[in-house]
Amino acid sequence: MALNKAQKEMLENTPFVEFLGLEALTSDEGFSCRLCFREQHIGNPLLRTFHGGILASFAEITAALYLMESLDLVEEPSCSSMTFDYLRPAFAGTIRAEPCIVRAGRRFVVVSVDVYLDKTLVSIGRFIYSR
Amino acid sequence: MSDRYLTMAKTFFGTSHPLFNAFGVEVEEVGKGRAAMSLSCRPTLCDRHGGLHRGVVVTLLDTNCGLAIFSRLGDMRPIATIDLRVDFIRPVPAGEGIYSEVECYAVRGDIAYVRGQGCAYSDHNLLATVFGSFAVGTLGPAFDSAMKGEGKV
Repeated sequence: MALNKAQKEMLENTPFVEFLGLEALTSDEGFSCRLCFREQHIGNPLLRTFHGGILASFAEITAALYLMESLDLVEEPSCSSMTFDYLRPAFAGTIRAEPCIVRAGRRFVVVSVDVYLDKTLVSIGRFIYSR
Repeated sequence: MSDRYLTMAKTFFGTSHPLFNAFGVEVEEVGKGRAAMSLSCRPTLCDRHGGLHRGVVVTLLDTNCGLAIFSRLGDMRPIATIDLRVDFIRPVPAGEGIYSEVECYAVRGDIAYVRGQGCAYSDHNLLATVFGSFAVGTLGPAFDSAMKGEGKV
């Protein structure tokens, strides 16, 4: 399934999304995003891990992109709050975010995102969007 | 926190750190378990409306939490976020900077607890709030060990 117009707008015309350098992947297994480590993502420079805020940003943008596809939105949804659990250190590498809709209500939508470094689950985020 | 620690904090969060340098993070105040930081609007960090992206808000708040913990502990031993909760009250207006303040209000065993907020730099309008918990004394050397070794402080 190709990216829709709103998703392309977000990916190609949003400066901070370009700063991160994430890519959207659609396959039979569903929608996910990938982020390859860049020096500007660094959190702990001695251990060489992704910064927690970068991980949360990556997951939130993935959630927003996924919602734009699932709910056929014409513009970026508005995230009102998030909760993010850091389960394991995310060492510099390629990380993958896998979103799923927990609940799509009339007024609020809740998206959960699992972030993996290879096969290891490093973080889980939950994002609430107002319709 | 002594002047020496303030200098170390400013050095760590300054231009030699690739992320903080790219963001233009400034350490405004540190002391008594509290810390304040700021950053100005930069085009590379914006959303499509010319305002700082909410990902930048989260990253600044998370960073500020770390500095508040160092202030409370009085040193820069390794820490790592356990969980973070951010409420986005308002989008950052176009061109506006952020001023964030975080307090580390409790440390119990290996966990430090923080709460704080980010406001618009010009009119102090509330933009986002943060609550979090951090693990204290995690993997790796102290954040200031490299700086001490290089004789930067």
